Formats: sequence, structure tokens, C-alpha cells
Amino acid sequence: MEAYRIIKEKKGKKYFFRSTVNQRLQHIILATCVIVLVLTGMPLKFHDTFWAPYLYALFGGIKVAPIIHKTAGCILMLLFVYHIIYLSCNIYFGQIAPLRRKKELSAGKLIKLLATQPFMPNRKDLKDIVQLFKYLFFLTDRKPQGDEFTWKNKFDYWAPFWGVPVLGISGLIMWNKEFATRFLPGEFINYALIAHSDEALLAALFLFIWHWYNVHFKTSVFPMGTVFITGYLSEKLMVEDHYEYYVKIMKKAGLEQEILPPNDSYEGEPVKGKMGREESDTISADEIFQTMNPRKGESRND
Amino acid sequence: MREYKNLQFVAAMAMVILMVALFNSGDARAADVGNCLLCHKYPGLSRIGENGKFRLFYVNENIFMNSVHAKIKCEGCHTDIQKIPHEPAKKVDCLRECHIIEPSSEQKFSHKEVAEFLSNSVHTKLDEKKKPKKYAEDMPYCLDCHDNPLYRPLSFFKRVRPGISEMALGRCRVCHKNDEFIFRFYNHVTTRLHTIRSPKNIAEMCGRCHDDPKVVARHNLTTKAVYSYGETFHGKAASYLDERIPDCLDCHVNRGKSVHQMLSHKDPLSITYETNKAAICTNIECHPKATPRLANYKVHMEFDPIQSPKEYYFKVFFITLTGGTLLPLMGVMFLDLFRRLFPNIKITRRK
Repeated sequence: MEAYRIIKEKKGKKYFFRSTVNQRLQHIILATCVIVLVLTGMPLKFHDTFWAPYLYALFGGIKVAPIIHKTAGCILMLLFVYHIIYLSCNIYFGQIAPLRRKKELSAGKLIKLLATQPFMPNRKDLKDIVQLFKYLFFLTDRKPQGDEFTWKNKFDYWAPFWGVPVLGISGLIMWNKEFATRFLPGEFINYALIAHSDEALLAALFLFIWHWYNVHFKTSVFPMGTVFITGYLSEKLMVEDHYEYYVKIMKKAGLEQEILPPNDSYEGEPVKGKMGREESDTISADEIFQTMNPRKGESRND
Repeated sequence: MREYKNLQFVAAMAMVILMVALFNSGDARAADVGNCLLCHKYPGLSRIGENGKFRLFYVNENIFMNSVHAKIKCEGCHTDIQKIPHEPAKKVDCLRECHIIEPSSEQKFSHKEVAEFLSNSVHTKLDEKKKPKKYAEDMPYCLDCHDNPLYRPLSFFKRVRPGISEMALGRCRVCHKNDEFIFRFYNHVTTRLHTIRSPKNIAEMCGRCHDDPKVVARHNLTTKAVYSYGETFHGKAASYLDERIPDCLDCHVNRGKSVHQMLSHKDPLSITYETNKAAICTNIECHPKATPRLANYKVHMEFDPIQSPKEYYFKVFFITLTGGTLLPLMGVMFLDLFRRLFPNIKITRRK
């Protein structure tokens, strides 16, 4: 198992660990499936538009495109199941099992442990949202100083937990209508079609506008964010979006002298500092994670 | 010099005669015994009718010869035309007996029986008491649905595909010597082995009346039928020219009957009657493994709180969810862009 360095330096710039290879692969499969599903599904939803026949023809038209759509849908559902198992195993073997071994696990601790997972919404997110609106309405120059995962990250993460089951189950009902109507009334196919079609539109608009804006198209990232490929985020974007977390890990890494000021003006460039350590001195993600999360036995391994 | 000009003229005439001979085969002129194409072969033959509508009288011979009426002489339908040039012709009566002999009965062929079917169908102009229905003029007449359809032959040789199988024709020629007969018979039979129009064309044809809001309102119909069909997978696939997909007629015509015998969904003998409609979906060509429950799928569901209240509110939920999710996020996005464009605007004192 490879331990990831939480801060990497390349050509004098710092990069901060965000996701493992496994997580990046999951994300790429998810993104590919979603794009294929949208491209093969929307021409059906908007079949009476001028562009739909051309787009559908690119995927083989009515004879082939539905097969591609169903294949991508199956891969996405399998990925969803895999992710649930992956998440459960990580939490169980990384956090719950060590507590059980020490006989320190109680119902209260378990609930607290689950509620404080990095991707769980918390009070800090609420504060950040309030701060963001103050900032957006020019009531303050101070931007929300996000933690490891901001409320936007969490929103993007939890959205598929609603979208994939809704789309997957409704898609399966329509695909296997003969089987489904052995148990369900025929009207459920109408409901499945509405849910599938409308939820797909919501998901597509959400991802291609909101998500892509935040990770690719906003002025500080444009034309493309690379974190989904490299797994590391630049210092500039760490300062912009995850300042609280950035300060924490810089301190843990003993780089207090190099901490940049909060980037309160969006257009302002962070003050350049020099690394006080050699690249070989960078500390591992596990090391930082252990010091920030005192629960023993936790690790962030692939 | 003059001789040379004469030679040129003769050569040009010979070319014209040769071209005419090449492009006007004997078969193509079979129906034109009265020499109607003498005038009607010209694409510009047209006039503005008394009602102000443009009328085109051009007959494309090649197209006509590939139509199901290719064997009918012009005078067979336009019986009032006795001389050339002729007076304005009357409307064609589709129920007229024509010179074709129907081979199984050896009687003169007529569409009269079709008219009888139609008069007993949901599209009849008469009510139960044989009196004209209200808005009887909305009911279809032959030409409302039919033009002069072209043959759509199929080849079944090795695999099914559109078009004529030369291999099959070769087998026909073993016994039948007249190529014109073979060709026409092949076209007739294989065209009739499937529908003469694609599902999309059929839906469009029905939609001329069934999607007309005035007709729908006049006859108290619950749906713009073709529009609602178009929102189903069947309708969407039909719009992508899928020939395998069921169209209006596949569900609304009783098995083994003609489209002209279509019955109302209120008629207990109709396939679309509430207790019969399961047979539509579960027939062997569609969803043979399905239970009767599948037929409860609402094909003609519309986004209407009266016609489909449950589905309407279910959709309203998703519209609300979409708007409720996206609008605030879009708002944040645009505010964010605005803040980036104008980072130094001050409204209150800086904190």
C-alpha cells in the first residue's frame, strides 16, 4: 500500500494531496459514464430538437445508442456499489476495527465517528455558506476559509448518492419492464420514466454547470482543473478554497513560516514563499492525518 | 453548308428519339393508354385553383409506376375525362369499381368493402341510429389518410432488408416469363408483408387530426394522442425511424383486422377496451413474457392535473427539485462571477 505525501513540491511550487489513485479512477469512471449516459440519453429526451438526430447518430442511432446507454448505466451502478463497499471497508478497517480490538467501541462513539467523517456536513459548512453570501454580497472581503472538504465538495459528493439510485432503479424498471410489472403496477413505468428523465436533466445541469464551473471554469482554475488527474491541488487553490485546512497542514508540516495569507481578494495572487525544506523532507499524508486525527490506527491508504 | 445543317438536324432528332426510347420504356407507359402524360409529364403543369390554392398537375411517371396504383389506367379513376384537352376533372371516387380483377374472387376490384369497414368503425360518420354524428365532417375520408403509396418491397433472401432481392426474382423467372408481372407481383406481396409506412409516418398521419387541439376539444378526447405517444419510448424511437417499434395502428387495431375496422376503446370488442388491452402488450411480437399489469402503463399520459393527476404531481416534484437545487446554485455561481469581476466594490466598511 502506497502512502501519499500530503505536500509535494514541484518546480518550487507546493501541491497538496487530495485523492488516491483508487479514488481518482472511481471519479474518472463516474465522469465517463455520466458523460456517455447524458450524450446517449438526452437525444431521446429532446428527440424533437434539431440537434438530437445528429448526436444520436454519433452513437449509432436507435439500434446502438440504447445498448451503449444501458452498458454505461450498468457500469455506473456497479461503481456505486463498489464505492459503498470501498467506503464501508475504509471506515470499518481503518477506524472501527481498531476501536473494537481495543474494546473501546460503543454506540455513542460509533455515531460520533460516522458523523465526523470528512465528507459529512457539519456546522462549519453552515458558517462557510453564511460567510460566502456575505462575501458575494460585498458585505465583507473575507472569504470562507474552507476545511479539507468544503460544502461545495460535500454537495458534489452526496448528489450522486441520490441521483445514481434514482436513475439506476428507474432505468432498470424501464429496461426490464416485463419483470418489473410482475410486482409493480404498470403505472410505475410512467413514474420511472418521469424520474429517470427529470433526474437525469437535473444531474446533467448540476454537473456540467455547477460542478464544472467550480472545478474547471472559475477564473482561478480556467481552462481546466487537474486535481482529478494528479490527485494534488496547487497551493493557490488550497489558499482560495481550503484555507483553514491549508494552515493546519502547513503547521503540522512545520512550515509555519511559509504559510500564505488568506486570499481575500479573488483576483489577488498569493504571496510567494520559499520552501524551507527539501522535497525529500516532505511529510506523508498518514503522518499529517495521524496528528490531525488522534484516533489511532486511522490511515489514508489506497 | 445547308446539307451540313440538315445533317445536324437529323442527328439531333435521332438523339432525341433515342433518348425518348431509352427513358420511356414500354412498361412505364402501361397505365397511360389515354396518352395523359402528353401534357402531365411537364413539371410546370399547374394553376391556382378557385379557392386560391396552388394545384400541381404534374405526374412523375417513374414515381407513379412504383406506386401501388401503377397498374390502374388514368381513366380508371378519372372517369369523367373523355377527351384531350379536358375540362376541370371531378374529384376521384375511391369506391368506384376499377378494371382490375381481384384474383381470388375474379370480381372487379373496388374499395367499397373498405368503406363498409370504415362505416362500422370508430371513424364512422354515423352514430348508432345511423344518423350523422356531431362534427361528422371531422371523420376521415380515404384521402385524409391515404395518398398514392409507393411500394416498399422487402428482400427475405438470406436476411431481411428493404428492397428487391434479385436472387428471389431469379427464382420467380423460372416459372413466370413476364418480367413486368414478376416485378409488380413481388412488390405487391412484399410490400404487404409489412406496413407501407414507417411508425413515424403513421403517427404523423394520425396526428393530423388527433393532435389538432380543435378536433381534440370538439370530440372530448382526453389527449393529443400523437403528442403523448411521442413522449413514450415507442414514440421517441419512432421519431428516430425505428421500424420495429409499435405505432398507433399496432395497438389500436384488433389483431387480424384492418385499420379501417378500428373500434372505440369504449367498445367491448375493441382491443383497447379496458379488459382487453393486456393482449396488446403481451402479444408474441411485443412483450410476450409480460403480465397483464404492463398494459396499465399510460401511453397517452399528459402533464395535466385532470388527465393524469398522480403523474402530474410526481413530475411537479421533480421540477421543483430541479428548480430548487439549480436556481440557488446558479445564483451563487453568477454572484461568484460578479464578485470576481468587481473585487474592489465596497458596500460596508471592510472587516
